Amino acid sequence: MDKLAQQLREDANSIEVDVSPQLDARIRASLAGVRQETGRTSSGSTGRAPFWWASSLTGIAATVAIISVINLGEPDPEPAITQPPPQQFTMPQFTFKPKAAILTESLQQELDAIQSDLKKAEQVIKDDFDKIGI
Amino acid sequence: MAVNSETALIAAAKCGSVAAFTELVASHRVRLLRFLVTRTSSYADAEDALQDTLINAFRYLRSYDAKWRFSTWLYRIAINNAASMRVQDTEQIGELCDEESGPLEQCIAVSERENLWISAKRVLNDEVYTAMWLRYAEDMSVTDIAAALGRSVSWTKVNLLRARQQLDAAMGGSKKKAQASEAYG
Repeated sequence: MDKLAQQLREDANSIEVDVSPQLDARIRASLAGVRQETGRTSSGSTGRAPFWWASSLTGIAATVAIISVINLGEPDPEPAITQPPPQQFTMPQFTFKPKAAILTESLQQELDAIQSDLKKAEQVIKDDFDKIGI
Repeated sequence: MAVNSETALIAAAKCGSVAAFTELVASHRVRLLRFLVTRTSSYADAEDALQDTLINAFRYLRSYDAKWRFSTWLYRIAINNAASMRVQDTEQIGELCDEESGPLEQCIAVSERENLWISAKRVLNDEVYTAMWLRYAEDMSVTDIAAALGRSVSWTKVNLLRARQQLDAAMGGSKKKAQASEAYG
């Protein structure tokens, strides 16, 4: 044993403690009232594994039984039949006639023409909505 | 305590015999209390921790696995109790008592040189301190210390080595201080 280890041991032994009679009596009294329990620490938990499995399997079996009872007790629901909505609630069909723009005049004039066409289109759409009452 | 005798006492205590348990732990009580004095903030706390340790040991004795040494198992409970007591103390008073007036200092007779365990308390953290205590005060094997602390053997080896180096360095520092103070009168 080296010097440091020897010193550490000596110094540990020089710590003066004593289990007093009062403490001894306290411990004995406490021990008398203690009820021993089985298996708590992980080191001794192997004996608890079957209980774990048993409780898990019981839970699963109970769940399956409840689900089966609920589902077997009720007849299958009728398939839902949906009616098509009335014609008046469907959206109108628009027919678009796209045309390629052919730039034959200056850009400003073309822009004016396009804006004018847009306004006309908007008006046509408004008229169509008015006709169907939306 | 002979192994056979210890085994018989454990068996009897597992059946609920308080007398057998008391005899079983008789040789460990003072050593446990000495250890707990170094780990708690007052002597009364150390006594409470000893009481809790023995009660818990008896309560859960049936879960004791014989692959552990009984003393290792007992120390593991004591370490947990001391740790929870320190947490309670910290929560109650904010910080632990002044180390100069702790129970360890009160239990050491005045001597010329400082007790190494006081130096160790200053320079080592709780877990490493405990490892050192189990190694050098309790003469436990590294494997048992690792089991008691819930650490790996390699962690224990490395930290014991580092702790020794730290303690050596601290002792060197205090020797230099002592020499310096002697030199300056």
